[in-house]
Amino acid sequence: MSRVFITGMGIISAVGASLAENRSALRAGKGGVTLCDRLPSRYAGILPFGKVGAGTDELNEKFKIADPGITRTTLLALHAFDDAISDARLTEAALSDPGTALIGATTVGGMCLTDELYRDTSNPCEGSAFLSSYDCASVHLYLQSRYKMQGFTTTINTACSSSANAIQFGARLIKNGLARKAIVGGTDSLAKFTINGFNALQILSSELCRPFDRDRAGLNLGEGAAFLVLEGEEALAGAGGGAAAGEGAAAGKKIYAELTGYCNTNDAYHPSALSLAGDGPYLAMEGALRSARLSAADIDFINTHGTATENNDEAESRAMVRLFGKPPVFVSTKSYTGHTLGASGAIEAVYSILSLAHQELYASLNFEQSIPGIGLRPIPAYKKAALRHVMSNSFGFGGNCTSLIFSNTR
Amino acid sequence: MFYIHHISCISPQGSGPVDNLFRAVEPKYEGIPGNVLRRMSKSVRMGVGASLPLLQWSPDGILIGTGYGGMEDSVKFLKQIIEYEEGVLTPGPFVQSTANAIASQIGLFNHNKGYNTTYVHRGLAFESALIDAAMLVKEHPGNSYLVGGVDEISGHNYRFEQAEGWYKKEDFAGGDLYAADSPGSIAGEGAALFLLNDSPAGALARVIGIATLRGENEDAFRAALHLFLDRHLPDGKKPDLLLSGENGDSRALKWYTICEALLGLDVAVARFKHLCGEYPTAAAFALWLACTLPLKGSDHQTILIYNNYKFSQHSLILLEKFL
Repeated sequence: MSRVFITGMGIISAVGASLAENRSALRAGKGGVTLCDRLPSRYAGILPFGKVGAGTDELNEKFKIADPGITRTTLLALHAFDDAISDARLTEAALSDPGTALIGATTVGGMCLTDELYRDTSNPCEGSAFLSSYDCASVHLYLQSRYKMQGFTTTINTACSSSANAIQFGARLIKNGLARKAIVGGTDSLAKFTINGFNALQILSSELCRPFDRDRAGLNLGEGAAFLVLEGEEALAGAGGGAAAGEGAAAGKKIYAELTGYCNTNDAYHPSALSLAGDGPYLAMEGALRSARLSAADIDFINTHGTATENNDEAESRAMVRLFGKPPVFVSTKSYTGHTLGASGAIEAVYSILSLAHQELYASLNFEQSIPGIGLRPIPAYKKAALRHVMSNSFGFGGNCTSLIFSNTR
Repeated sequence: MFYIHHISCISPQGSGPVDNLFRAVEPKYEGIPGNVLRRMSKSVRMGVGASLPLLQWSPDGILIGTGYGGMEDSVKFLKQIIEYEEGVLTPGPFVQSTANAIASQIGLFNHNKGYNTTYVHRGLAFESALIDAAMLVKEHPGNSYLVGGVDEISGHNYRFEQAEGWYKKEDFAGGDLYAADSPGSIAGEGAALFLLNDSPAGALARVIGIATLRGENEDAFRAALHLFLDRHLPDGKKPDLLLSGENGDSRALKWYTICEALLGLDVAVARFKHLCGEYPTAAAFALWLACTLPLKGSDHQTILIYNNYKFSQHSLILLEKFL
């Protein structure tokens, strides 16, 4: 089975509209969660959110879009997708090759148009521009049309692990010979719908979220998108004349990392909470190690799911202790971006790969005291580190758990 | 690709359309506790209900495709948001509204900690789950997977799609769906689930190939269909039967006509949407139906399912049905 390499990345989040801006915020330990007032919700200015700086009008203008049916969720995806394909220097021909797949993930989709949807449910009229925009598939159907892509395209929704599953699925298409390249990722925008959903569950913090802290009081919602370009050995050989990663790089093709392990499991415990022992997370991390043929001691760093809810951080901590004994250094970058739901798996995969590619670790923000009885402490400050294999965790409602492992190719 | 061993379906079969809708005939769901059942949305109820007879074979993973997801609960929660002006809301409909609720509730019922995923790619959601399952079977020899397509007629989705012209405006009392020379189809719903693995022994059917295509270019469609048949059927052989997703929408007819013309006159054609109506994962019902068709004078039969969703999403599933 072919090895799978990451050759391009694009990202937009509360800490920046490009890969460089995101990295620079992470290095500086500068989070993007604020009390922003430009939000379509009465909680604007009351609760902190990780909002992307660019407004919807600005994004429409950047991409010259006049169709009101193109939602903010789609615009964020488009921004990250466009950056990822430029980063990987994919040509129009490569994009429309039947061997180039598009696997996207979102949980909000067009539901960010909460008020429009309400209006349409009360009185659907033939003139509404939004009727076919509300579902999740609308995002990737738009990207597929815009870039004239002919390869296999689909949309995944496994709640907060959605885009980690998109990455895994894209890699498996390549390994099974069903695609040569796959552009994979996820997107979600801040919506009245999700803000009120998480608020009703009483897991939104009124302060900046504090992942893994004893006094953590819930999550901050965020928005954003990230896409990664995955290429198999065959595609790289075609591009550069050498199958191995090093040779591809020598031929001018940038290679950030190799996706070496992945595993999808279910916690099968509760619709909106993890089992306290973290069975699903444990099995996902353990399965990812097995698929990468690595042992626990090989993992140098973990980008945790780390939502800062009472439930997640305890279950994830217990699962890490169970698997690793003494877990490797870890961070929750949700302290920078907020919880970006369906986008978080891809955003955090990008951050994990940045750590690997630059051999550096970013500080986990807002942590003071460890959880009693567990005692784990996330990375306190930026530092350089020798990293070979890193893990990225994503867990979601419905017990959907996925862990990915990225490895250095140098 | 894989072998189908057990099937289960909840569908509108036998009920006929009422008020221009094919509504599923639901069983009593005796295996689901009453308090749990009351909290389930219809799609979760149908998905879990249809999975129950298959769980005894302890699948190693659960894969669901759903086009509409939890639209009904989404709108229920949305109405709370607007009507209570973002005040104190009950979270139940929000949790139920996530599209992965079907696969995860089946997982909960089955204490299944294995692979669990949900595809929501509109008219190709079920086919995506099948393609994933085909890879899983290859990656994990000996494992079995529970795969299905589930959708409910949600009132709001129905009205949106009605406003967009996807359903017939005239009264349709159950005459010949395919004779109506008018735009739009009749909405349907259902859940069809399959237990599949890599073992031929005792299998109902073998799925030979699956392909999806997007677009409204007729030449590209013809070329894709040619390529698919050449790849999966040796020596220009034709399937014995085309199970056609024709849905009574006069505007969609050309796609089915192209498919029939390309196969030629000696391939028998059967249709299925007069039994289940039109919905994003109707191809799951077609696959279930294909697995139940009686064979005549042969110990196996090759069946091609062609489905078209809203003109631009096409899928092909080729299977071999055993005696």
